[in-house]
Amino acid sequence: MANEETVNNEGYGLNRRNFLKNAGVAVAGGALAAGLTPPAERALAAESAIPSALTSFRCPICAKDFDTFAALKNHSASEHPGRVPPVTTTLNVNGKDYEVLIEPHWTLQRVLQFRLGLTGAKQMCGRGVCGSCTVIIDGRAVLSCTTLAVECEGKAIETVEGIAANPKWKALINSYCKWDAMQCGYCTPGFVVSAKVLLEKNPNPTEDQCREALAGNICCCGTYPRHPTAIMEAAKAINAST
Amino acid sequence: MKAFNHTNAKNLAEAKTALAKGEAELIAGGTDLIGRLKDNILPLHPTALINIKTIDGLDYIKEEAGVLKIGATTRLADIAANSVISQKYTALAQAAGRVATPHVRDMGTIGGNLAQLHRCWYFRKPENRFPCVRKNGTTCYAMTGDNRYHSIFGAVNRCIAVNISDTAPALIALNAKILTTSRTIDADSFFDVKNPGNTVLAAGEIIKEIQIPAPPAGARSAFLKFAIRKSIDFPIVNCAVLVGGGPARIALNAVAPKPYRATKAEAVIAGKPINDANAEAAAAAALEDAKPLTATRYKLQIARTLVKRALLRTRTL
Repeated sequence: MANEETVNNEGYGLNRRNFLKNAGVAVAGGALAAGLTPPAERALAAESAIPSALTSFRCPICAKDFDTFAALKNHSASEHPGRVPPVTTTLNVNGKDYEVLIEPHWTLQRVLQFRLGLTGAKQMCGRGVCGSCTVIIDGRAVLSCTTLAVECEGKAIETVEGIAANPKWKALINSYCKWDAMQCGYCTPGFVVSAKVLLEKNPNPTEDQCREALAGNICCCGTYPRHPTAIMEAAKAINAST
Repeated sequence: MKAFNHTNAKNLAEAKTALAKGEAELIAGGTDLIGRLKDNILPLHPTALINIKTIDGLDYIKEEAGVLKIGATTRLADIAANSVISQKYTALAQAAGRVATPHVRDMGTIGGNLAQLHRCWYFRKPENRFPCVRKNGTTCYAMTGDNRYHSIFGAVNRCIAVNISDTAPALIALNAKILTTSRTIDADSFFDVKNPGNTVLAAGEIIKEIQIPAPPAGARSAFLKFAIRKSIDFPIVNCAVLVGGGPARIALNAVAPKPYRATKAEAVIAGKPINDANAEAAAAAALEDAKPLTATRYKLQIARTLVKRALLRTRTL
């Protein structure tokens, strides 16, 4: 599945490599300077580098570019009859609206990664089992790999990038780093998002409540015991600062 | 995932019309459907999905005139967290709170939990590699293959895969009724074994509401689930009971192709106080008719213990 999605996205749209290139330029004009920028500012700058409106519309079947969506629709109808035409939708991600050109069967995770270049929500199991792709939609921690992007229009989507860019949640990230609640780190964004939702609902969670809230996230490295420690310490720091 | 069209339904009539056009499927929470479409397990792939989350007034929990009414697209997390449900309809709150993971409960709906397809690794094998009896094939691959999680009450329509809904036994124990776009069905007789589908719903019929009569005074309910993992996993066996204030109701799931109502156990426990000996006798009666396969014999012990513990749990709640 992951292969299919990567291959389908080759050659059009926003891919991770050129996103990082652009973001790097936008932030500080070079990799060296980017290394010196605080992470929260880097996260903000990376997000502001994402265009919020579409300027060109590429056919997902033959990769031909069009200036307007209407032209692309006409092209789809005449050149690819019987195929599902692409659609545009506006996603509100981390407080900002982005117009994206997608196909109706695309999951939110796929759109975040390949259209917006937000790689925090990770594709792992792709079946709603592991929690690596967790994002927040209207205050609920949900799985972006089993959510269709077309169904997210008009909803407030928050990703781990938004949490990283928000100074209020710096304590959570710091606490995760301090307690080293990760090894390979692939699942960590999912855990952080779940932890943020927990702390919003319950500012003083107990260890059991932390475990319950993180019960939908799988970590292959087995870092589970550190997570409640990190979250409970973050909770104290966040409560003290507000 | 293969491409499909997607429409947001504004009301049930619109959803019904779109469904009637054929080869369309409803999507609510999508937690079962999207995984199924990604794996491409069925021979036919829908050409359109109809989103019913956009229909206003399908997401509610309210108590009216002694009847609890739950909208079909109410999320499981909301049901588990509802204080009225946890106090008076305890088994349902406990069941909704044990489904999969917190994330899935925040996405999955009660209607979807009832209508989800069964779990059988032959049926669910990606790319439709096993054209089993539930796909209009001729062979049940589980019958001769690995069937350790399959039925202990024999086959229905030659299928031995089990229904794994957690809320189904709770709704049956609580004597719920399921309102669809065309009729009202008792939770007891709501489940079926079809190709594909686990409900008696006709083509184009949509679940609207779940109605549960308030349990009589003095009645208590409980739900227990046994799974290999505490979180994420499907049940090996689950059990819901309602006792006190009237006839007892005991339902098990993941033991048969349809949720299993243990009427023999209900007769044994009827009018008797809940204690160790009576609970044990009821548990033995519940599994009296079981015909386990060699690989599913272990489920008997688990099911018996769950029935006993669920009955005893009603004392302490």
